[in-house]
Amino acid sequence: MNNGRKNTPNKLMPLQKGIFTRDISFSNLIASSVYITLAVSVAVFIIWPTIAILMESVYYDGQFTLTQYISLFTENQQLLLNSIWVSTLSTFLAVVLGLIVALFISHSANRGKKTVFAVLLLTLISPPFVSALSYIMLFGRRGIITYNLLGLNINPYGWHGVVLLQSIGHASIAALIILGVLRGIDKSLEQASLDLGANSLQTLLKITIPLAKPGIVAAALICFVQSLADFGTPVIIGGNFTVLATEAYLNVIGLYNLPRAAAMGTLLLIPALIMFIIYRNVVKNSQYFSVRQSNESTLVLSKWLNIILGVITWSFVAFQLIQYITILWGAFARTWGVDFSLSLKHINALGSSQIASFVRSLEYSFLAALIGSLIGLILAYMIERKKFPGYQILDFMVTLPYMIPGPFLGIAYVLAFHDYPLLLTGTAFIVVVNCIYRQLPIGTKAATTVLTQLNPEIEYGARDLGASEIHAFKDVVLPALKPAFLISFINTFTTTMITIGAIIFLMVPGSEVATVQMFNAIKTGDIGLSAVIANMIIIATLGINLAFSYFILRPARHKDTMEKEMAYVPAIEGIK
Amino acid sequence: MFLQLKELSKSYKHIQAVKYLNLEIDKGELLSILGPSGCGKTTTLRMVGGFIAPDHGRVIIQGQDITQMPPNLRPTATVFQSYALFPHMNVLENVIYSLKFKGMKRKQMLKKGEEMLEMVGLKHYRYQSINQLSGGEQQRIALARALVMNPKVLLLDEPLSNLDAKLRIKMRKEIKDLQSALKITTLYVTHDQEEALSISDRLVLMNEGTVEQIGEPQEIYKNPKNIFVADFIGRTNFITNTEGKLLAVRPEHIIISDTEAVGSMPGQVIQKQFTGAYVTYFIDIDSKVIQADLPDTRNLKWEKGDNIFISFAEDSAVKIEM
Repeated sequence: MNNGRKNTPNKLMPLQKGIFTRDISFSNLIASSVYITLAVSVAVFIIWPTIAILMESVYYDGQFTLTQYISLFTENQQLLLNSIWVSTLSTFLAVVLGLIVALFISHSANRGKKTVFAVLLLTLISPPFVSALSYIMLFGRRGIITYNLLGLNINPYGWHGVVLLQSIGHASIAALIILGVLRGIDKSLEQASLDLGANSLQTLLKITIPLAKPGIVAAALICFVQSLADFGTPVIIGGNFTVLATEAYLNVIGLYNLPRAAAMGTLLLIPALIMFIIYRNVVKNSQYFSVRQSNESTLVLSKWLNIILGVITWSFVAFQLIQYITILWGAFARTWGVDFSLSLKHINALGSSQIASFVRSLEYSFLAALIGSLIGLILAYMIERKKFPGYQILDFMVTLPYMIPGPFLGIAYVLAFHDYPLLLTGTAFIVVVNCIYRQLPIGTKAATTVLTQLNPEIEYGARDLGASEIHAFKDVVLPALKPAFLISFINTFTTTMITIGAIIFLMVPGSEVATVQMFNAIKTGDIGLSAVIANMIIIATLGINLAFSYFILRPARHKDTMEKEMAYVPAIEGIK
Repeated sequence: MFLQLKELSKSYKHIQAVKYLNLEIDKGELLSILGPSGCGKTTTLRMVGGFIAPDHGRVIIQGQDITQMPPNLRPTATVFQSYALFPHMNVLENVIYSLKFKGMKRKQMLKKGEEMLEMVGLKHYRYQSINQLSGGEQQRIALARALVMNPKVLLLDEPLSNLDAKLRIKMRKEIKDLQSALKITTLYVTHDQEEALSISDRLVLMNEGTVEQIGEPQEIYKNPKNIFVADFIGRTNFITNTEGKLLAVRPEHIIISDTEAVGSMPGQVIQKQFTGAYVTYFIDIDSKVIQADLPDTRNLKWEKGDNIFISFAEDSAVKIEM
């Protein structure tokens, strides 16, 4: 196919910059080897750990046995019930709150909508213990509200705190998901309802919310799975109330009872799998979804409706902001709970170990983001466009980490790589790999979405003009995938900076990351230090996200850049 | 007069979409608002329906000023361009939706709904999901849904633009039949002039926010007031006569002849288009192109390149004020 076309690229040179004139005649060989390498890596770093943990939970002394599971169900019923109770309750509250906030943003005439939206995004990029830490700082034994203001000496630990924090914490993602669906609803349906005699509240109840059902269900599924996998909050403020995620951690780190931990991890996986299947089949295929550009609602809410939605939403926003303010203050308060005068004591006390771990976090995040996004792009291309043999299986394998709870994957990696031939635990490599493959679904999905909207005829055009496969990919597809790459980069960077659930099992003393340092600091009660680390992480993630928004997403002055930015919309939508 | 629009105005940023519009519509009348994209016809309709608040002016129905009313309290019903049928309800539930807010009992609602569906010939579809319906069927459901609440004014926003040509012709007859049977005052917005001409009692031609001409279809077609109207409605030839006055002559009134006569103009055939019922000749007269429509019943021998003469009857030409 490349024969006799050697002259054509030269002819095109004055018209198109950046096309290699070298003719690679064995581009197919390169493409195939890339594909095979990536496919093998997916198998090694996603499938093998999954198998390892499943096997560990059922094989004891070389024999197949279900004792771990049986004991979990008989002796540790309380544990399972705890987990289900907390997750169900917090999911319900989170979805209700998220729905209200989403309706506020999409329907109210309040000018502060953008602030609310910004706060929602902020909560997505925050480190895991922000709410737990601020909760202790505000309501703990020496909490500023409970101790200093009210003079109480109460015990804030228990399931109430966990449910409260999880509800408010997960309400953000619920709101964003529901908001996405609300924006896709055809606005003329609401207008038609008004036209036919319904008032604004009736329209919301009978038309808007029923049509948003797919979003509500999706939000509930995601909140439930996230709550089950939430390790940070219950471990800090759960007190004696234990859930599966905390017990799994204890069994690995403290008791080194790997079979037991493996069984717990697997139990965490099952609801996640079920939710994922429901999500894929019911929600995703719903015809109410439309990936259209958002159009502002013309439904005018009645005065009282506006007020109620507003009060709840702004309280939610205030609660979130108080958390950040508390943590910021905590970094500069001399001794929290005792002496609130400002001082740089904690910042000066930052040892080389903490600084090193922060730098390490940045490095890992950057590496994972760069490599992960690239791999995601290439995989998406191979799955979506090239349809190499076995692509459906590969597609499934790539999306597997989406539904795998953090602790599960963490334990799985420990089991998979703690022995020959793949002795990798304790290395930086395995931590970065874990972060890459955990986030791979995001990068692949973003790229896939862009690809499905990219007219394949453009690539045919390039081939027609003489470009080989690799050239077509490099010159036509890659530039179009830039938005997907950047979205994936930011996402993976942020997630790696703030992750703990999976990698806490892979940490080796002396080479920890910032989130683990923060966790340790909280455990030892060093409020000041944990606050400082928290702020450092927040600044890093906020900084890069703001830079991204400012330089890449900002409103265009020129029409052509506007079109490039519009390319980000499907990529962002596709991630959901 | 039943529906009155008084000095209705609406601007967006620097563009005046509707400029001091005055319209009076009689009870039971079907008035079309016709015009090119951006002329303000949809904005006007939405102001009557209550979805856009006018900057100035009033909407009055049967003497009642409804300008400040929200859409759910107005006695109007709209059929949207996209039909806006509720996808999560079946056909019957869609149709009876409005009756809930009139305090009707469930049984009565169902009965009325089925009667309405009977009228549009879709009673057997009543439990179907609306996603399984064709375009024409969805259109009829949207119509039924609007009519079941007995609105004083029916508003139609380009209801046929999503349908193919043949279906459009069929559906516009059905809409007209339904409208005249129920004697319901109707405002019909469209950009398709054939549609407007065929079913309207009266027709309003709008351009850039103002009214160019109002009248019965035949009147507007035969006696366009200005160049815009003459050009927008049907095809027109603009010919300057010997006194320097501009005349508008419809292609069907142009006469072609081989021989010269008094007052005829010489020209050359540059193209011949067969359109089924007639043949359109494009003739070069003095570097201007004139269109002539001749029914294809006779043997039309003129071909491209022929030199011919054109003329027209004096009373078929309309003087256009400049």
